[in-house]
Amino acid sequence: MSPVRLRGEGVEKRYGRVAALRGIDFEIAPGESVAILGANGAGKSSLLKILAGLSRPSGGRFDASGSEDPDGSALRRDLLRARVGYVGHATLLYGELTARENLVFAARLHGQRPTRDALDAVLEEFALADVAERRADTFSRGMAQRLAIARAVVHAPSLLLLDEPFTGLDEASGERLQSRLEAQRDDAGGARSLVLVTHDPRRAVALADRAILLHRGSVRATPARGDAAFDAEALREALVAVARGAEAAA
Amino acid sequence: MNTALALLWKDLVTEWRSRDRIVAMTVFSFLVVIVFQFAFPDTEQDELTRLAPGLIWVTYVFAAVIGLGRTFATELENEAMTALALAPGTRGWIFLGKAAATWVLIGLVQVLTALVFALFYRVDLSVGLGGSVAIVACANVAICSVGTLLSAMSVRSRFREVLLPVLLIPTLIPVLAAAVRGTTYSLAGETVGIDLLQPLIVIGGIYLVLSFLLFEYVLDE
Repeated sequence: MSPVRLRGEGVEKRYGRVAALRGIDFEIAPGESVAILGANGAGKSSLLKILAGLSRPSGGRFDASGSEDPDGSALRRDLLRARVGYVGHATLLYGELTARENLVFAARLHGQRPTRDALDAVLEEFALADVAERRADTFSRGMAQRLAIARAVVHAPSLLLLDEPFTGLDEASGERLQSRLEAQRDDAGGARSLVLVTHDPRRAVALADRAILLHRGSVRATPARGDAAFDAEALREALVAVARGAEAAA
Repeated sequence: MNTALALLWKDLVTEWRSRDRIVAMTVFSFLVVIVFQFAFPDTEQDELTRLAPGLIWVTYVFAAVIGLGRTFATELENEAMTALALAPGTRGWIFLGKAAATWVLIGLVQVLTALVFALFYRVDLSVGLGGSVAIVACANVAICSVGTLLSAMSVRSRFREVLLPVLLIPTLIPVLAAAVRGTTYSLAGETVGIDLLQPLIVIGGIYLVLSFLLFEYVLDE
């Protein structure tokens, strides 16, 4: 696993005349866990797609560098993608393939040929061993989401990007998923960074070391663990205050 | 190359289990063959043999449009297209895997269609079989190359069902012209030489290389 450092300066993203990101600065260190919070339309998913190498900024500078690279040079986008595990709003799974086949395909897309034992270990880790040979289109939402995360980590990425992974899960499934994500974050021995996009401050505090509060494409606050503001209730209030302030200004 | 092989495997397995593309293409092809049968009643055998290459290629191309329309539509379910876009390395390999799977599926449908066509129109396909196979194989490279690229480009459009044939068919006119000419010679029992295959090889090669290179930008947002 090769750790990745992400750095953005004045990053902008526009879709036609609509500005999704308005010149934001950020840095995500190897092994760091960061939550991106904000209301709908704040620019969270746009930022995540830039971090994943799926989208190019319209302005500013974004680069990713491998900490083991001798000259610290920026990674090309295609090399960055090799180190990224991504879970989006949807599961990114193929319903006609079994759980095992989905993992095999994901690994082969990343140029890997995992052994049966390695796949069994991943399936076991996500409590999918009993349904490994079942087609993914027969899975419940919770099982499909577990498989989606297993698919994202099967190639041992050093950067795990999660876009609203708790959407559509009941409380118990959400808790189980959170504990598996905590394990994914911790098991890599500090080599895996985690970026979580969420509306839910409670999940952000549980999984992240630091939060980035976005509002209409701008960074409004960056509380970190140890700060009084890095608390589920405080983050929720900060989100409400930011939204109210913006409304008053308008 | 591993990426291309993974895509080829995945597309063939999912198609084997869903059969949505192959059934749609086969049923459509059979219907077209039957409709042409009504359009040319009481036609002399010589006349049918003369018309056969044009009729069969019209059927092949429209069946291919149906298949190509679904090539990337399946990737929209669960946003699997994003997983493809995240694959590291040159994205041209993704194109190549998808195009190869489509080449196999279209080829299967064409074999079935040719058998039904021979039955209805009393055309002896064993005459010049090797030449016909070479022409179809080469023409399919061009059809699947440009078709896969345009399918990926149009799949996120609201008008993809209309957009794909409108973009694809004009680009296939030189392929069709060469394929119909070659098939005419082949069914007449004449040897299909390199002079008949050359245009298809050149056009197919150009479309293949261009599509491979351009695919890098198609998967970007």
